[in-house]
Amino acid sequence: MVNKSLLSILTLLAVVLLVAACAGLQSSYTPPAKHPSAADLEEVPKVCTNCHDARGENVAYGRYVHTADFGTSHRPAATQGEAICAMCHQTSFCNDCHATRVELKPSLKNQTETYRSAPHRGDYLSRHRIDGRVDPTSCFRCHGNPKSARSCKKCHG
Amino acid sequence: MRSFVFCHGLRFAFVLILLLSPVCTLGAEVQIKSDTIFRLFERDTSSEEDATVLPGYEYLQVDAGELEDYGVSFHLYGWGRADFADNDYYKDQTAGELLYGYLEYRQEANRFNAKLGRFQTFAGVANDAVDGLYLGGDLGDYFDLSLYGGQPGALDSEQGRSGDSIFGGRLAHHLGMHYEVGVSYKSIENDNKTAEEMLGVDMSVFLPANLNLYGFSKYNNETDDWAEHSYELSIPVGSVIIKPYYQHYNYEGYFDTGANAVSPFNWLSQTGEKLTAYGADALWQLDDAWTLGAKAKFFSYDELDNAETYSILVTWQGEGLTQYGGEIGHTSANDTANNDYTLVRLYGYCDAMAGQFWLDFVSADMLLTFYDEDIYGEDSSFFLSLGAGKRFLNDALSITLSGDYSQDPYFDDDLRGMLTMSYAYDK
Repeated sequence: MVNKSLLSILTLLAVVLLVAACAGLQSSYTPPAKHPSAADLEEVPKVCTNCHDARGENVAYGRYVHTADFGTSHRPAATQGEAICAMCHQTSFCNDCHATRVELKPSLKNQTETYRSAPHRGDYLSRHRIDGRVDPTSCFRCHGNPKSARSCKKCHG
Repeated sequence: MRSFVFCHGLRFAFVLILLLSPVCTLGAEVQIKSDTIFRLFERDTSSEEDATVLPGYEYLQVDAGELEDYGVSFHLYGWGRADFADNDYYKDQTAGELLYGYLEYRQEANRFNAKLGRFQTFAGVANDAVDGLYLGGDLGDYFDLSLYGGQPGALDSEQGRSGDSIFGGRLAHHLGMHYEVGVSYKSIENDNKTAEEMLGVDMSVFLPANLNLYGFSKYNNETDDWAEHSYELSIPVGSVIIKPYYQHYNYEGYFDTGANAVSPFNWLSQTGEKLTAYGADALWQLDDAWTLGAKAKFFSYDELDNAETYSILVTWQGEGLTQYGGEIGHTSANDTANNDYTLVRLYGYCDAMAGQFWLDFVSADMLLTFYDEDIYGEDSSFFLSLGAGKRFLNDALSITLSGDYSQDPYFDDDLRGMLTMSYAYDK
């Protein structure tokens, strides 16, 4: 019954917030549909914070800086700031890893893009025996549905 | 199989023309990106040892309409594969997937966004492909809402699509650069049976001194239990960013996705295991080029013994995409996975060849892994990948040739080749 109560509370909360929000419908900050291209910029910046404040007036650009660990730590930024990601990346970019089903692992499809973070580089067949037991939750995020689990099916059934 | 693929291809082309027609009549921008990949390697098949495998892949992306600004647009992305070798390495000679194909309307006022077709949605607890409708936008200055509903793209192979459904959404409240809190819900039915029903809370809190707190919790409404808690703090100290984090996973809530559960994860929900992981990443940006990093992560289980991983890395970033780097890490999991391993990686990508040796970019990647306990009689792996490419037609076309060699517990000497042709059309 806890689940039903929780669901009811969350639904009620959502309705209250919705009504409150609708009472004052205005446009909040809208980012541009596309970031200026490299050709449009006099000097191509390496990271967002070369031009934007880490905590800007409307967007905390610091959280979008593609640091060396961004490949494994971008989930909060991508979940809450999809519109910011979309200024530079199309969904096809995300689909290399997050997709209904792909056959080529990202490090193979983009084999020469060695500067991109990809967890399954090299002989991952051997390493996954260990990583998968240590933390299967990270496997599940990308291989957890009937279609995306097909790459596991050959051996795991 | 071929007639099946052909019929589906015809149906797909018809739908594509229907969806594209309103966009094309606007005379708007059209972008087409094609990646054609040929691979060559050897594998044992049911009838032959070291049989040649020659798959060809086509990744096609089409975007049309108002692409640089708000308005109506159409987006499509998918891949297909055909095996040109005459053997049974692949279960099916052809395969493919439409990853997305939707008509979109974006309005600057209130950031209203509508999608119709197959789309990938990232909304709190959702990271799913949906065949249906998405609506999202701001509700005033302080709230935004996204809603989606339709059929789940990931289930269309499971006993047909009848009785399959997905719906959910995320409502977020944000107050400038102080905080954002979102609540999300997702329900998936597979053949009229509940597959998943998840609730989520995500948050970003922007604290004084540029401290940021990010968090996400997921509740499995079917198992009546929390599935996940993930919280991370970002602490800038000069040019160093330290990110301590805490994660907790309850396997029953996390892996029990009902009728949606798949091997090799479905049995994990029955183990009663709970995993707590904590650790920290630290990155030191020495200057525009050099970055040093260190990571430590500890895993604590209810049932198993503990495990831990450590790594250090260094990267040097030059002009464009040029980057060189290295990483060394150790995973100690002898009590949980009956093995430990040490991984060393060195890589490079030079984007500034400027036609030297007729090339525009070259890449190299080397990984060495040392296993504490032998795997199939081998205590190490060696992997080397080399690639080179040239751009043509004002960079619209690039041709890349790459190959990799692996000597590891599964393959004595595995050599694979790959030719990639990428073409981008923009009008």
